[in-house]
Amino acid sequence: MSSKLPDGKTMRDGQIFSARLNNVVTTEREFDELVTKSLPELLDRATGQTKRFLRETNQWGDDITHEKLALRWGYELVERFVVFGRAEVPCRPFFLLDSLIAKSFSQPDPLCYHKELLTPVGRFLDGLASRAVVSRDALITLFYHFYGFSQAHVVKLLGFGQAESQRVYKNFERWRQSGWQRTMNETGLSGSEIEVLEQELLTRPDHLNHEVDRLMPVLQSHYRKSEPEHYPCLSEQKWGQLFHDDYGHDYRVWHLAFCRDCFMEVADRRQTEASNGLKPQVNLHIHPLKKGGVLALFGGDRGGRHHGSTRAQRLSRTSA
Amino acid sequence: MEAPELNDYREHLLDALDDQPRRATEERPGLLQVLVNHERVGMLDCAHTDPSFAFTARERSIQHLEIRSESGVLIGGCVAPEAGHKDVRIPVGKGAATIHVENHFDGGSLQVQYETAPRWWAHLAAAMGLPSETSKPAASATPIWTMTTAFAQIVLAVGVVALLAERVPSWMGSDDRAHQLEEELAARQSTQEQVDRVHQQLAQLVEAQAAAVAISRSEQERIAQLNNLVDTVTLAQQKLNTQVVTVQEDLQTVKTGVAQEVQNGIRVAVSTVEAERELVRQDLQSIKSVNETLIKQVALLESRNRELHARLALTSLEVAKANAAPKSTVLAKNDTAKDAAVSTPVADGLRETDRQAFMFWVAFQDGTTEKSIEDLVQELNGIKKGPMKSGWYSVEVNLPKPEPPDRFLESVKRAKIVKSVVTSKAMPPAQ
Ligand SMILES: [Zn+2]
Repeated sequence: MSSKLPDGKTMRDGQIFSARLNNVVTTEREFDELVTKSLPELLDRATGQTKRFLRETNQWGDDITHEKLALRWGYELVERFVVFGRAEVPCRPFFLLDSLIAKSFSQPDPLCYHKELLTPVGRFLDGLASRAVVSRDALITLFYHFYGFSQAHVVKLLGFGQAESQRVYKNFERWRQSGWQRTMNETGLSGSEIEVLEQELLTRPDHLNHEVDRLMPVLQSHYRKSEPEHYPCLSEQKWGQLFHDDYGHDYRVWHLAFCRDCFMEVADRRQTEASNGLKPQVNLHIHPLKKGGVLALFGGDRGGRHHGSTRAQRLSRTSA
Repeated sequence: MEAPELNDYREHLLDALDDQPRRATEERPGLLQVLVNHERVGMLDCAHTDPSFAFTARERSIQHLEIRSESGVLIGGCVAPEAGHKDVRIPVGKGAATIHVENHFDGGSLQVQYETAPRWWAHLAAAMGLPSETSKPAASATPIWTMTTAFAQIVLAVGVVALLAERVPSWMGSDDRAHQLEEELAARQSTQEQVDRVHQQLAQLVEAQAAAVAISRSEQERIAQLNNLVDTVTLAQQKLNTQVVTVQEDLQTVKTGVAQEVQNGIRVAVSTVEAERELVRQDLQSIKSVNETLIKQVALLESRNRELHARLALTSLEVAKANAAPKSTVLAKNDTAKDAAVSTPVADGLRETDRQAFMFWVAFQDGTTEKSIEDLVQELNGIKKGPMKSGWYSVEVNLPKPEPPDRFLESVKRAKIVKSVVTSKAMPPAQ
């Protein structure tokens, strides 16, 4: 365990800071200063408490995957602490962090923990979905990662007008530039793990897509938890009405990205209207859509109909 | 193999945390996402003419509020009390968002309002790179006044530089000197105004600092109060502890008291039971003895009863004997026999029970005929038992009980034909 800790210097500093973190901080600036210097200690504290929570709820396993999970959640807690803490000055930073953690863990179902989601593909999907809850870029590009929808197809699916279309393109662009990589980093998926997934998608696309199809309900039911208060499932007729009368744009984005069943129904319906004829289906994509990438809607090459070119993006990419 | 990977990940996260404030301040105000209790509830468009957002939560209060950019960068937020209100002002780009949360236990309401910064301040902020966020802080030991003065100087200097910078292009691009002078004058005047404003700003800053110091002091007082409170609580705790000990002791006393009482009670109850058992035993004993006495008495009574019976029988026999002769004549002469029919069987019954069988051996004089012997036996009411053995005849008679056999044998001996009489039970007398 000691090898996982930072070097001695940081530890010594940490001990100095821990005393200060227990004392009252009176100004925002003092808070920022102290927090910036003691981030390792704060992260370790939040991670430790997350581990304890996992252990106490029988969700712990002694492996690197669980260690990473605890770190990831610890990170999210410290991020909030850093941002919210300024508004709580004067305060004792450690007490504030502890109360924030306690409050988070006292929420119903605070963490998305599911044994099935501890595999590389599970962690990949979980990383995307948890990011989509806070990032509109991630939310919009879920349609690409789950179903292979490009920006144009997303705009068509969601029935957006000019201004909103531009935003969708921006979402894709930002995601490609930094959002995806940051999400992978924060999820703790290493480059080699992503490479392995990419390889598996090339060699056994059906197997991996089947796995995604199986995990999606688990994942979506957790992250779509705001329902039914805000965005419940709608009947086919209601969806039709929503599009026909042109309202509920946020509803469309949020719900269709997080509900496979409704997505399939709406996509099928709107696809039929666009007279393509192919049924929408799960079509996993690991990397973000490359710049200038053009995608055949419901490419039909899922499963590698063309030898060595299983992904439409690679087939029809005009530039990278 | 695993540890370095984990450490790398940790370093990644630490970098991201370190970078967070920079990312947050770099975000341009565009679309802001509003998340309540970790759920997205809507967007705030800062470019809108009235950039505000309102939300009402039912069932649950607004405990956790986040403002994030479209890309998901956490810009600000707060944790609100379950009941009560919370006001937070967070910098968003060059403007600010004011947040007002009003909570009650089963719901809450939220108001977010975005305000763009005043233009000159925006310039300053841009030129300074938002000093309050990123400027390297002075050592915490530096007195507040030194800090304030230094800050004010930076503000002034940067302000002037910013204003000059705004004018430079016009100086460079113009060839009209008079116009330049005019410009310069105007600029100076404007600069003076700006400086005045900065002074005013500085004064406000000093005020704010003073307020902060006051807050800090009041905070310290509050902490002192808290400490007092903690002391009081500790004292109370100690008191409570001693009370608990006392109560425990009391309880102990009560316990032993109760135990003794119970034991006494048991002892009393046991002795009572034992005494009762003794009584019962005695009663039983007496009942037994009474019973024995009764049994004895019954036996006695029974024997007396038998005696009485015997006496009654004897008396009846004597009465019967006494009346025997006249009665039989009456019976022979008078054949009306209701009385006789009743009395005779009674007399017979009595005779039967009260007679005793008596056997004796008799020898006759030589020459006594068989006929004479038969007559005598008949006279005696006896029965010859078996044949004659060596001149002895065995004869059995029924004697009335009270008659002694000796007297009867004497009377037999007196008969002329009888030679000798003996009373040997089974065998004839020896020769
Ligand atoms: Zn649905």
